[in-house]
Amino acid sequence: MLCIEAKSLSRSYGNVIAVDSIDLSVEQGKIFGFLGPNGAGKTTTMKLLTTLVSPSSGTITILGIDTSRYPLAVRKKIGVVLQQPSYEPTLTVEKSLEEYGMMWDVDPKTRKDRVEELLSTFDLQDIRKKKNDDISIGQRRRVQVAREFMHDMDLLFLDEPTAGLDPSARRGLLDYIKGKVQNGLTIFFTTHILEEAEYLCDKIAIINRGKIIAIDTPDELKNKFGREKTIKIRIGNVKDISSVLQGVGNYEVGYDEGTIITIHSADSEQVLVKILQALQSNNIPVEDLSVVPTSLEEIFLTVVKNSNASNISSGK
Amino acid sequence: MHPIFRLVNRNLTISLNMGFVIWQVIFPVIYIFVAGFAYTSLIHSVPFGSKNLNYPAFIASGMIGFNIMNSTLISGIIIWNDRRHGMFEQILVGPFTRAQYILSNVYTIGIIGLVSAGLITAIGYPLFFKSIEFNALTIPLVVFASITGAILFGSIASIISTRLKSSEGFNVVINTVFLFFAFVSTAFYPAEGAPPILAIAFYLNPLTYLVDVVRAGIFDNFTQTVGYEMIVLITGAVTLFIIATKLLSRLEI
Ligand SMILES: Nc1ncnc2c1ncn2[C@@H]1O[C@H](COP(=O)(O)OP(=O)(O)OP(=O)(O)O)[C@@H](O)[C@H]1O
Ligand SMILES: [Mg+2]
Repeated sequence: MLCIEAKSLSRSYGNVIAVDSIDLSVEQGKIFGFLGPNGAGKTTTMKLLTTLVSPSSGTITILGIDTSRYPLAVRKKIGVVLQQPSYEPTLTVEKSLEEYGMMWDVDPKTRKDRVEELLSTFDLQDIRKKKNDDISIGQRRRVQVAREFMHDMDLLFLDEPTAGLDPSARRGLLDYIKGKVQNGLTIFFTTHILEEAEYLCDKIAIINRGKIIAIDTPDELKNKFGREKTIKIRIGNVKDISSVLQGVGNYEVGYDEGTIITIHSADSEQVLVKILQALQSNNIPVEDLSVVPTSLEEIFLTVVKNSNASNISSGK
Repeated sequence: MHPIFRLVNRNLTISLNMGFVIWQVIFPVIYIFVAGFAYTSLIHSVPFGSKNLNYPAFIASGMIGFNIMNSTLISGIIIWNDRRHGMFEQILVGPFTRAQYILSNVYTIGIIGLVSAGLITAIGYPLFFKSIEFNALTIPLVVFASITGAILFGSIASIISTRLKSSEGFNVVINTVFLFFAFVSTAFYPAEGAPPILAIAFYLNPLTYLVDVVRAGIFDNFTQTVGYEMIVLITGAVTLFIIATKLLSRLEI
């Protein structure tokens, strides 16, 4: 079943097109990652999907329900952690979890159990009696994320949930999310941290200037955009390396405890073979050879750069 | 539980603290005692309809109206804080509609207004038991005043809270407006005997109407004028409530 289905979705603010005719579909039980640079339109998309703002054009179906006709019915079935902080300053941490459960009509017994479970899971036991006004920003973010798990839902939206969390809190949250997905929850997740998306997501969309410029599984994205491998070869000091390597293809030379030849192109392997042959015929020994794996981060940077360049060349 | 009551429950949970109780109950009571008795030597009696009220009785009944107005501050503060601390968006992305959010604020004011008016009546009772005249209209009139007053002043506070950006601005504006309402009204002094300009200003102020209706109930003095005042209160409450709702529904997120 499709949990999220958006068709030619757009939203403008004045003459800024925050979201520009995007299509999305997210299947049940999956984690969908939404990446993009600042101002790309991630939060706006999330606000559209969660009925907080209405689209300028296009349609959205969440869990089979049309958001423009039955926004309340949609909201009853989803959980949302917005990018913007939200908290009850005068309540203690435990009271604010409890109160949030009450607002979602969770029965008192379940509420009590969940408060205890979440306080432990999110490492909030020590500050449970402190007021939200008196805790740190990262702690507040943890309370905000924990709070959302007080109620049942079919689909959860998380807008940069790990922003401001320390590495262990971040890992704890990611693993907790993974566990929830195994129990059937579907997650729509935005982040700037590429390793996070790689660790967590079944599918990733990259958005830039309101348009989706790539959408696929992390592995497929690497296949498609990650063909440009980086290979580094280290040799001893050689006087005239450029004449040795004449005509082998594209490479760069740097010096760091010897000479380092870096190959970075779509046909890195072929260039490597030619370089190795040239080195061998000149009796130059290879001291070290390494392949730098393509990270999602590089793909991200490449894809966004290409998209910006094509926007400029097409006069946008 | 119905969503509106869950929101009311939440509103009461976040707003009821010691500071609020002091502001809402203790301060008015102290005021009734101190001001009431301090001024008795200056103001011996206040003409009210066909009767003469002693000043403590006059001020205690005025304090009930003042207090109803004061409790509406809570609605402005809740909306203001919800916007500032992100809870406004969070609630609107939850299982609630904007209309429910607004109504829950009105109910909250109504409850706080009625309860604190009740407390002040109970505490003020010894002061004005001589002139108090319980009758069939007492409770209906006080309840009427509490409800229309809650909606009217609550809407004013909501309108202010949706129009302003900075928190300092909110406090300054709301305190100025409510201070003006409080002192340019019949809550603390009668319109009779006030300079004519002030007496006119009194009747440009909704609190005056509110207080007059409360007094009419407590001292059994229902007249045609009071009937008109009730119509003014209802009209004002409905109009301002519609404006507040419109503004809040259009508030950009
Ligand atoms: N309420 C608003 N009024 C006017 N413009 C807005 C509003 N909200 C967003 N925008 C504009 O829409 C564009 C997309 O913003 P959005 O918040 O969706 O970006 P984002 O991808 O979430 O960025 P970030 O990574 O910084 O959170 C930006 O150009 C932003 O300036
Ligand atoms: Mg954002």
